[in-house]
Amino acid sequence: MTVNLVLLQLFTGLALGSVFVLLGVGLSLIFGLLTVVNFAHGAFYMVGAYVGVFALAHLGNFWLAMAAVPIIVGGMGLVVERFLVRPLYGRGIDYPLLLTFGLGLVLVELVRIIYGLEGVPFDVPEVLQGAVDLGIGWFPLYRLFLIVVTAVLVFALWLFLEKTSYGLVIRAGASDPEIMRVLGVDISTVWLVVFGIGTGIAGLAGVLSAPMTSVIPDMGTTVLVQAFVVTVVGGMGSLLGAVVAGLLVGVVVSMTALFYPELSDLAMFMLMAAVLLVRPQGLFGRKGLMG
Amino acid sequence: MSDTAEPRPKAYWSRIVDAIARHRALAVLVVLLIFPFVLPYEALASNIVIFGLFALGFNLVFGYTGVLSFGHAAFFGVGAYGTGIAIVHLGLPWWVAMLIGVLAAGVTAMIMGALAIRTRGIYFAMVTLALAQCVYYIVYQMKGWSGGENGLNGVIVGQIDLGFASIDLLDPMQKYFFTLTFVALAIFIFSRILASGFGAVLEAVRENEDRARACGYDVRLTKWLAFVISGLFCGLAGALNAIHLSVVPIEILHYHMSGQVVMMALLGGMGTFFGPFAGAIVFLLLEDVVTTMTTHWQLILGLVFMACVLFFPRGVWGSVLQWVRR
Amino acid sequence: MSHDTPILAVRGATMRFGGFTALSNVTADFPVGELTAIIGPNGAGKSTLFNILSGAFPPTEGEVLFNGTNVAGKRQHHFARMGISKSFQITNVFPELSVQENVRVAVQAMTRRFDLWTPRSRYREMIDRAVELLRVVGLENHRGRLASELAHGEQRSLEIAMAMACEPKVLLLDEPTAGMSPEETVGVIDVILTLAKSCTIILVEHKMKLVMDISDQILVLHHGEFLAKGAPHEIRANDEVKRVYLGEGRK
Repeated sequence: MTVNLVLLQLFTGLALGSVFVLLGVGLSLIFGLLTVVNFAHGAFYMVGAYVGVFALAHLGNFWLAMAAVPIIVGGMGLVVERFLVRPLYGRGIDYPLLLTFGLGLVLVELVRIIYGLEGVPFDVPEVLQGAVDLGIGWFPLYRLFLIVVTAVLVFALWLFLEKTSYGLVIRAGASDPEIMRVLGVDISTVWLVVFGIGTGIAGLAGVLSAPMTSVIPDMGTTVLVQAFVVTVVGGMGSLLGAVVAGLLVGVVVSMTALFYPELSDLAMFMLMAAVLLVRPQGLFGRKGLMG
Repeated sequence: MSDTAEPRPKAYWSRIVDAIARHRALAVLVVLLIFPFVLPYEALASNIVIFGLFALGFNLVFGYTGVLSFGHAAFFGVGAYGTGIAIVHLGLPWWVAMLIGVLAAGVTAMIMGALAIRTRGIYFAMVTLALAQCVYYIVYQMKGWSGGENGLNGVIVGQIDLGFASIDLLDPMQKYFFTLTFVALAIFIFSRILASGFGAVLEAVRENEDRARACGYDVRLTKWLAFVISGLFCGLAGALNAIHLSVVPIEILHYHMSGQVVMMALLGGMGTFFGPFAGAIVFLLLEDVVTTMTTHWQLILGLVFMACVLFFPRGVWGSVLQWVRR
Repeated sequence: MSHDTPILAVRGATMRFGGFTALSNVTADFPVGELTAIIGPNGAGKSTLFNILSGAFPPTEGEVLFNGTNVAGKRQHHFARMGISKSFQITNVFPELSVQENVRVAVQAMTRRFDLWTPRSRYREMIDRAVELLRVVGLENHRGRLASELAHGEQRSLEIAMAMACEPKVLLLDEPTAGMSPEETVGVIDVILTLAKSCTIILVEHKMKLVMDISDQILVLHHGEFLAKGAPHEIRANDEVKRVYLGEGRK
């Protein structure tokens, strides 16, 4: 086994981790503000892939389709927050969780009705096909693209949260909802927007992974569990935690796949168990957020 | 919420409900005894008592201790696989196999509980879900023992010789009463636990963790013990399910199964003694009816569940209790 | 037990939250059988000291001595079992349990924590003890009601009964009369004075007149630091205490 092979696998892990980062960031953002665990997160991811398929078929342009997905899925998120999740605020943290679980079932079944059980192909445009020489070996261009897109997106999100006044409102709301009320900010609009952003990112993660996995109605099922593991490892409600944990989980999974393939499915759970034992609030989680 | 709350009787109905609540184990038993005669077929009755037990065990954690677990499929599944493997691969007698299944579920609950209990609140649901999914992968990979994605086939008990009588498990009616015997015993034990001092501690923890701690209760240990006991009951349900179906499908370990038991508890009314059984009855009857009409049962299920969360959070039995006691 | 060993004491207790020091190097004794009040202007560190003494969290530095043994860092339920009992600042009962069951569960915590089999209705002596405690706080006629149905003052009394359930050696009360009407306050003070005959009491309180009337000892904190300790008449005469309170008044 050569060093180059390990390094290449590291990149594979980062690509895999990029999807986890996007999922974890969306989940964490929603939780950080709304204290809602979105059990339909995996379903939104799946819907994102199918919306991508649909948009590609009708727009004929990969880039337009990519841009359309987060807007459409995010829009669905807005509707869900406004009409389904909002009536449940103040009734305990379990209710939104249970509702979104039911919603996930409905979304998966609706897609099954429309597209059937068979996988749908999702082709990458020619520019992104093939592989590049990283100096350590050939690496699929699309995966590199995925890493770059995630990096850009996370940076943009960071800019939005740190440098814009609306971002400031969101961060203030995450640390203390009372502040928002004092400042006279309409908290329900902020929650609506954040839920939309979170689901939009989940949808984007779905369409971005579509070329690498088969687009099937069940594709979000496993992803939901992975997103949970990332959030628990990183710390609930922490964006930095989601980024670090997402990449970490991706790398751990791909490295185990290289060295102990039979353990690759279990690796992330072992990582999670270890974190729970040493630091139950997650790597970047605050103790106060655990309640 | 609880059946044991002080009665404030007004109507005629409320006295009946109170009488049922006082003899709750007996009341369930009476209903279950007439069950196979009113349902379209006996296998559905067996299904209902097994899932009723599963939901009952789950409700100890969710309804009585106030902790939402999304990993109870692991106990149901490990109970089933433990029993199945003991019969198929080890050739052990049925009762040893069941014991192995139940204990294996208990050990699984001990480990999962010890990890999950380190977190609080909403984390608990996520961690239990992830850990249960880990169990799914482990069993899935032990193909030689578990049959992998094909499930474990040939869990056949057939004839049971008790010395004074013999039970033919291939006969659906006899199988129902065989299953019911265990479920009835479990209901009796469960009822005792709820009424016990420990049951009071569980209620206290659900009502106010801080206060329970200040009284001198180790909240973490209490929750862990509730989790393990709950795992044992769910493991028994799984063991019975393996014998009932003669196969153990791998889907039994999937988190959708955890979701199903959450739905049953909510549908029936969490934190009430009869709720889980009412939920299992409604759920399985609904499934039985809907699946004959459409293949998209999951759509109906999801919609019913969402409607339940939004408009009907007390569930069937919870609503009856509220209506009667108003 | 020697009267020289205080039942509860803190040595150099310091508490930091992030960069903020809420309590700084406080040393104080709480002698057996005395009623000590902790007072001080807002932000003086009263609640922090209360929480350290009651085991809600350990001090960042320093020791908590119970009968001369350091118990800092033990978990909350250990404090309760050692005999350090507390009531909360915000009313804290089991809302959906009956009044009697609230107290009975508290009594049960001392003996039958993991009894999975005996029906709780057979715990005759616990029920009797609960009823007796409810009589002390004047709630014996409300036994069957849900705790959530009680008036605010009654809930505070219920809390005291629950705190007494574990036969505490030290009873910590966090603003026991907060939010009470004058009549309710008088009732609760009677209860506290009754309890003071049988156990050591430490309370945090804002109402100065009340503190001066019932305390044996008063501990004054200011900006997280020890300022003074003494009998009510000594504190009343203390120039530094006057300065602090008058200074607050001028603002």
